[in-house]
Amino acid sequence: MPTENRLNVPLTIFEKVWNDHTIVRTPGGEDLLYVDFNMMNEGGAFLAFDQLRLEGRKVRCPSQHLAITDHYLPTTTNRAAGPAGISNPEIRRVVEMLDENTRDFALPHWGMHHWFQGIAHVVAPELGISQPGMLITCNDSHTATNGAFGALATPIGASNQLRHVLATQTVWMAKPKTMRIVIDGALADGVTPKDVILTIISKIGVGGAVGHAVEYAGSTICGLSMEGRMTICNMSVEAGAKIGMIAPDDTTYQYLAGRLKAPTGADWDTALTYWKSLPTDDAANFARELHINAAAVAPMVSWGTSPEDCSPIDGAVPDPDTIADPDRKRHVLRALDYLDLSPCVPLKDIRIDRVFIGSCTNSRIEDLRSAAAVLRGRKSSVPGFVSPGSSSVKRQAEAEGLDRVFLDAGLEWRESGCSMCNGSNGELVAPGERSASTTNRNFEGRQGRNARTHIMSPAMVAAAAVAGHLADVRRLKPN
Amino acid sequence: MEPFTRLTSVATPLEVAKIDTGMILPGRYMRRHRRPGHDYAEAFLHDLRFDEKEQPRLDFPLNQPAYSNSKILVTDVDFGCGSSREGAAYAVLDFGLRALIGPSFGDIFFGNLMQNGLLPVVLPFDIISDLWRQLRTRPGVEITIDLPQQVVIDAEGKSHRFDINPVRKDRLVRGIDDIDFTMQHQNEILAFEAARRSRFPWIPTATRE
Ligand code: SF4
Repeated sequence: MPTENRLNVPLTIFEKVWNDHTIVRTPGGEDLLYVDFNMMNEGGAFLAFDQLRLEGRKVRCPSQHLAITDHYLPTTTNRAAGPAGISNPEIRRVVEMLDENTRDFALPHWGMHHWFQGIAHVVAPELGISQPGMLITCNDSHTATNGAFGALATPIGASNQLRHVLATQTVWMAKPKTMRIVIDGALADGVTPKDVILTIISKIGVGGAVGHAVEYAGSTICGLSMEGRMTICNMSVEAGAKIGMIAPDDTTYQYLAGRLKAPTGADWDTALTYWKSLPTDDAANFARELHINAAAVAPMVSWGTSPEDCSPIDGAVPDPDTIADPDRKRHVLRALDYLDLSPCVPLKDIRIDRVFIGSCTNSRIEDLRSAAAVLRGRKSSVPGFVSPGSSSVKRQAEAEGLDRVFLDAGLEWRESGCSMCNGSNGELVAPGERSASTTNRNFEGRQGRNARTHIMSPAMVAAAAVAGHLADVRRLKPN
Repeated sequence: MEPFTRLTSVATPLEVAKIDTGMILPGRYMRRHRRPGHDYAEAFLHDLRFDEKEQPRLDFPLNQPAYSNSKILVTDVDFGCGSSREGAAYAVLDFGLRALIGPSFGDIFFGNLMQNGLLPVVLPFDIISDLWRQLRTRPGVEITIDLPQQVVIDAEGKSHRFDINPVRKDRLVRGIDDIDFTMQHQNEILAFEAARRSRFPWIPTATRE
């Protein structure tokens, strides 16, 4: 199973993991890869199940799948009441369909009242499901989050591709090119992993890494916690990459040790030996490389309708008249119109109507700690709520008293789920309202029809909440 | 999946440009189960076929008796553009169509059609216009698509050659879908899986509680 040339040709971590999962190689075409573990949510999955049912097909390896209800769950309902407690019939129906489909196909499913319910990309890592060297799929664009563990984690289509993975435990994929983004140096106070990834996206653009598997490396990445690494890998897709990976190291192993699904005993030792063979070889080549100086990264906020439309907080709304590229100019004009912003206005002067802290990008315990650190002893001047990434995160945050900090600041403390990240569950930013959000996408309509989204780190959202406008967390007046 | 070889059928002209996946499968049908007898046939182009009172629009070709039992639709530019909504291809399938002929198709939709045993044929716009003319002037006339030969034979007997990815063509002609195709490698998959499980016994699994 180790690839023939493993010993003599220097390889990247991506190539090693890809090779270790290749069943059939088609030069120049798509390779057939083995899927170790597949996660699925209630989104479009029912189409895959309907089609399998019509075809009379079965799931080949049910124990290598886990369905988690995350997108459609309201964060206010009494979860113990089950789907009956969801008032919107359409939303209730989507939740019920995953219950029914997983029952019919005998698939593991953590539904709305499961102790471990949460956003799939938060739950899989925190339970030790995401491990170095695995190939993980999920019918969701932010699957690369799991790549923070040195796994090859990739989104699949909610219907055809999911159906194929369910029936065969394999996926056909064209091998992407490799790209390494090296970030070196220390991050300044108030600068977080979210600011790093937003800086990268603003530099290379939303199409910047299309067709590439990205590896994030360098001293800054090595110094990050697993939570921080997940935030970075999570937004690979906003730069166009379906795969984003970070080599496993002691931080990874310490995080995994003792988690529910992590190996134990002799398996742990064998696993560790294998995991240590995965990091990119010194002489390996990448098709592209990009270097970022961590010291130059500042807290970032978005001002437009694409994740690349962001700038350091001390900047201003761009002036379309100074943009030479006509396509870019047209985009910026439309974005400013949608967001109701005037050219050259300082970003700090943009007033907000609400805040949202949550999503698979920034709803882990460290994210909540970082937002709570800013809000402790302060008041939010706008309404908003916090949705922890999982039921486990929620319990831990409550044990640490973070829920009190948010509540005392005047924010709501909700159940976990995708929630206002894309509003599938009906929790939307009202038309015309402006939200400072810890989410990953600021597209038109993403948080609701005519909703105006500014994406930024949890600490920056907390600072904006206190100020009532976008604000530099580094300059917040001491309370 | 039903093999696609040579198809002779009534063809329907649909001279509406840029019909997107949202028109092919309106959003309100997207959360609906597909079951035998309760599929997306009703949903297909629903708002073009029916008015606000749910009455069939009589001027719409697919509602005209001459074109009933049509298995071929001759579409306009960019049919199936827009969001990747995968159910759109199912709507085409459930409506009973087997092939679409048009000047261009939405990329993802194009792949989804073939994935479901449907054949999208791309021909130059002037040939498409000529097909529309033939089908409009003699409603109910048949045309032929010969996939092995890669030709469309129009109502006046003229042949038009088209291109298709050879791998896709092979799958359509043999009537094997992506899963059948993959499972031709069943032995390799099983051997790979067994080796992987013994080498990496710790890789997590889940159980249904
Ligand atoms: S939190 Fe948002 S981005 Fe993440 S999986 Fe849910 S909807 Fe998608």
